Amino acid sequence: MSNERRFIVTMLAPTFFFLICFYLYPTLYNLANSFTDLSLFGMRRGGEWVGLDNYWELVTSPDFRSVLFNTVIWLTVIGVSVRIVLGLLLAFLLTSRTIRKYRLETVSRVLLLVPWATPPIVAILIWRWMLDPRVGVINEALMWTGLVSQPIAFLATANFVWPALITIITWNTLPLVTLTFMASLQSLPDELIEAAEVDGATRMQTLRYVYLPHLQPAIVIMILMSTFWTFNNFVYVWLTTGAGPGLYTNVMATEVYIKGFIDGRLGYSSAVGVVMAAIMTAFGILYLRIIAQRELKEVF
Amino acid sequence: MAAVANLSSGGGAQMKRAIGELLIILLLLSVLFVLVYPTAWIFIASFRTPETMFSRGAHVYTLDNYRALLASEFARSIFNSLFLCIVSVLASTAVSVVAAYVFSRLRFRWKRTLFGAVMMGQTFPWIILVTPVFILFARMGLLNSVSGMVFVYVAVSIPFSIYLLVGYLESVPRTLDEAAIVDGCSRWQVIWKIVFPVMLPGVVATATYAFLLCWSEYLFALAFLTETEKKTMPLLLAGYFGENVVEWGHVMAGSALTTLPTLLLFLPLQTRMTSGLAAGSVKQ
Repeated sequence: MSNERRFIVTMLAPTFFFLICFYLYPTLYNLANSFTDLSLFGMRRGGEWVGLDNYWELVTSPDFRSVLFNTVIWLTVIGVSVRIVLGLLLAFLLTSRTIRKYRLETVSRVLLLVPWATPPIVAILIWRWMLDPRVGVINEALMWTGLVSQPIAFLATANFVWPALITIITWNTLPLVTLTFMASLQSLPDELIEAAEVDGATRMQTLRYVYLPHLQPAIVIMILMSTFWTFNNFVYVWLTTGAGPGLYTNVMATEVYIKGFIDGRLGYSSAVGVVMAAIMTAFGILYLRIIAQRELKEVF
Repeated sequence: MAAVANLSSGGGAQMKRAIGELLIILLLLSVLFVLVYPTAWIFIASFRTPETMFSRGAHVYTLDNYRALLASEFARSIFNSLFLCIVSVLASTAVSVVAAYVFSRLRFRWKRTLFGAVMMGQTFPWIILVTPVFILFARMGLLNSVSGMVFVYVAVSIPFSIYLLVGYLESVPRTLDEAAIVDGCSRWQVIWKIVFPVMLPGVVATATYAFLLCWSEYLFALAFLTETEKKTMPLLLAGYFGENVVEWGHVMAGSALTTLPTLLLFLPLQTRMTSGLAAGSVKQ
């Protein structure tokens, strides 16, 4: 028995070494810094204890309110919903009878992987070109069809910048969501759908009472995972718009970066980080409950 | 084609169905076009001269973009990225396989809490780790070092890798490793000689995710790699698309070279994922 215990400790030691050094220690360090006025330019001097000042500033700042709105509403709620809805529609399309009948399944599934295999940095560069007002193909197409008379600078125009950003993120992340839904759809027995049809169920009823209940676990997991992948993501916003125009698309991840590395206010930046981590911890607990109940039952 | 044939052959209902099928296929084609076009365009544009890249008229095709790129510091970054990712993926896979095995097969105190802690790693905002880890690395002399970056990439990829591998292990029958234990194998031998070969498709899929994660990672590389000769491909690539000046030749050829390895890794994964474990050696 003690032999087995030694084995368990040895096998888990590397994992926890990484978790403690890379996640736990930095989190505690941030928490401690968030109560100080530590500055990037005065690291040696260290920070003075300022109590809850950083948090007070954060709560009362109108800038932070817009950052919170951008992160929660635009990036996360709208961004994730678009991905889930399009992922579902695409999964239905790719597993539809017509596609199966003409044997287009395999080829479309391989092509579906292409955006996912495109690294985010490349996806961002290519979409920045496509959305470019001078040489971009989207403006060229819009001008050609006569829908617009002037090229649109999508990434520099308040009305277009969020939809454009969400388009880029959706394009890059849609395949994973779609493939997950497709796998779930394929595990649904054909007899169940045939039975529903024999019973005279309409298409909407079949969708409502057969497909959606079967897909529900996959949808829940994808909503949760997409939420923390998106909420925490720094690269898409930073490399596409640099939080601009102005600070119009500033989100929490870019706010931590701007306050810490551009303004040099590490104390305040840590406070923003602590708020971010707190929101994600709440999500994480929800996520754990769900995977404990559904997916990895035997571990828990 | 078949849809068109149906059209000519017959009655109202059949005609309706044929039109429906035609619409579905057209929809599929337009969706696939949107999905594939951007990436495909990179590869095409990378062989055009920057002057004719966007022109509607004749395009001049050339290898000059690649020649110029490979003669620059980018060549070094390809090596840096490859080396870093391969070492990180090997290390993170090894660490994750043993941890996933322990979580999946053994019973011990605090198991739920420890597994929960690993899973919480997935929900973590990386951006808040940058400053503390930077300071830690500066103190330990790990900035601009391969070991520092491998440490980072292993740490960011293990939570999701363990999650995936535990999932795969659930479909590997327990009787398999119990039988091996009865036959006198140690746990360590069971992991590497019995379970590992059976779950290899799952390991390959997991390693592919880890590779894509490292390969396209930008934030930590930006913070911890400041010397040009240490930089990875995403860092240099981002620099070519400046605010005012865009080096289109470098952007396109660099993007193509960054996408090619992940594309080559992902396409075979498609068949692996479907033919995966169910049909594998387990049932014999």
